[in-house]
Amino acid sequence: MISSVPLDFAGLADTLRRLTVEITDGDASRGSGVLWPRGFVITNAHVARRSRLTVRPIDGDHLDACVVARDRDADLALLRVAGADLPMATIAETPARVGSLVVAMGHPFGLSGALTAGIVHAIGPIARNGAPWIHADVRLAPGNSGGPLADASGAIVGINAMVGGGLALALPISRVLDFVRAAGVARP
Amino acid sequence: MDALLAISNELAGAVEHAARSVVGVNARRRFGSTGVHWRAGLVVTADHTVEVDEDITVTTPDGRTLAATVAGRDAAIDVAVLRVDAGNLAVAEITAEPARVGHIVLAIGRGPRASWGLVSAIGDGRRRRPETADWLSLDLTLYPGFSGGPLIDARGRVVGMTTSGAARHFQIAIPAGTVDRTVEELMRRGRIPRPHLGVGTQTVRLSETLRERLRTDQRSAVIVVDVQPDSPAAAAGLMVGDVIVALGGTRITEPGDLRAVLRPQQVGETVTLSVARGGEPREISVTIGERARRS
Repeated sequence: MISSVPLDFAGLADTLRRLTVEITDGDASRGSGVLWPRGFVITNAHVARRSRLTVRPIDGDHLDACVVARDRDADLALLRVAGADLPMATIAETPARVGSLVVAMGHPFGLSGALTAGIVHAIGPIARNGAPWIHADVRLAPGNSGGPLADASGAIVGINAMVGGGLALALPISRVLDFVRAAGVARP
Repeated sequence: MDALLAISNELAGAVEHAARSVVGVNARRRFGSTGVHWRAGLVVTADHTVEVDEDITVTTPDGRTLAATVAGRDAAIDVAVLRVDAGNLAVAEITAEPARVGHIVLAIGRGPRASWGLVSAIGDGRRRRPETADWLSLDLTLYPGFSGGPLIDARGRVVGMTTSGAARHFQIAIPAGTVDRTVEELMRRGRIPRPHLGVGTQTVRLSETLRERLRTDQRSAVIVVDVQPDSPAAAAGLMVGDVIVALGGTRITEPGDLRAVLRPQQVGETVTLSVARGGEPREISVTIGERARRS
């Protein structure tokens, strides 16, 4: 019986808050990022426009970061941060399914560590013959870019990149792994 | 987070289960809409999305295109029935269990695409009777092209057909029971008859004396203020001043109840009106007529 266990969205939010960073460029907040193992951070290329940025874990200090790989077509960037003992994200083993619960964590409008929830609406291209994206029935706002889209266990299924037709559009984690692999960094 | 994961998997499973009988409906110039393989060879969709009479096709979940013809339609209920040679296309699992306010539901569009939310209200905004509800009001997003698709429960069973309405302001679903009756009537008669009595009524308070005499505890009924000539009511001998307390055993407490109680399939049937005439209870048999069509 699933009703005997409390639905722990708050626990899910706590898990994701530890893995999500705010990316700033000077004084301006540019978006969000996900803590990757071995001192890396994944975000969108459109968030990491400069080669030197600042990354701030929630309840943490600003850390200097530099871009080690950037792919504008894939809209992904990999940053190296100077920090010790940072937590790291869990990557979902199976791709997202239409109808499954997903949550987004990020810094919409600079609001720190905000959680929004919904379901996977569709998996498909956003342009004819394009690569598949995750379309999620989840509310996103500027500042969510580069942040995690996670399943109900807190494992990362995608990186939120934009909003289209009222839907969250996230890069599937398989594409992120390909990008990280190409950059020469192993998966967690 | 096990409970969340379990629910998440159930929702995804529900979408997968329901999507087997969801088709794309191509019957308008703009982007297509969605349909449900409701009965073998019959696809239900939203009437307002069927803008052409010819060259209609449906797209099956495995990508096949099938020719379809309009088997029946009703603009007022916003239901159209298409006939297709469905082959091995799965028929939707439809539940007769009425949806309740607060139930988690999912809307499925062709693709499949999905959105989720709650049943936020039942009825026509004023009425709250699930058994006579004309629609379910939904707290979810019906994305473009969703109209005509199924509203499903967390088990993947169809509880209704979604429609944003021709005006595109609404997020509603026609309950499965109503769709079922509509399909039945459309297949039987080719149209949905509008039941007609031919009386004008107003709400009237029942005095305690009258309540006792009628052996009822209902506080109000309706008084006949007009009987249209040559109407079923006139034929039955109903008179101005008669107080209608019940129709076919169902309480009538306000004029809207008369409309709500009468069902299209009752046209031609004889029902009993419980009335008070001059303070005395009386039963009057009336044969439900059909309202003339406007077109």
